Amino acid sequence: MSTPNNNLLDRLVGLSMLVLATTVFLYYTIWTLLLPFVDPTHPLQSAFPPRVWAIRIPVILILLGGAVVGSFLGMVMIRSNRKKALKAQQKKAS
Amino acid sequence: MTRAQQTLSIGLLIVSIYSVALLGLAPLPAVVQTEIVPVLPLWALVSFGAYLLGKLGYGVLTFNDVPDAHAELMREIDEARVDLKKRGVEVD
Repeated sequence: MSTPNNNLLDRLVGLSMLVLATTVFLYYTIWTLLLPFVDPTHPLQSAFPPRVWAIRIPVILILLGGAVVGSFLGMVMIRSNRKKALKAQQKKAS
Repeated sequence: MTRAQQTLSIGLLIVSIYSVALLGLAPLPAVVQTEIVPVLPLWALVSFGAYLLGKLGYGVLTFNDVPDAHAELMREIDEARVDLKKRGVEVD
């Protein structure tokens, strides 16, 4: 079932997911909760885009994610309904 | 107290505390009030997503193969296949 060398790839994927999650959390926390208390002229501020984007980016991602999930669901439902209608038609014809 | 009641009461508590903070009913430093309080729900959502992703990644990272169980499972599948074929059911 699983090839012999899948272990390394799996661990790499897991580690990258973990690192990404930690980075996103730290970056976003500093961005939203720490920066308001930091001097506007501090060099740290240059590592972060304007704070408006801290609101826009997650909202855009949520809307995009919802759209993707919704369209996938819709496609699956349409396909299954079409199959059901086809089967009902065939039954009526036979 | 059921689990649902517990979750609901904790949720209600958090919502009420946050509403107090959001509506300015409690005196807070100006920076906190204008910049941090409105952002808190979104921050919580992003952190929750990051937590889930991290938990998933950690699980994938520490998932170990069990070759013995794998061999045994394969053997059981073959036995089941033979048995079912005897009773007239084709598998796979």
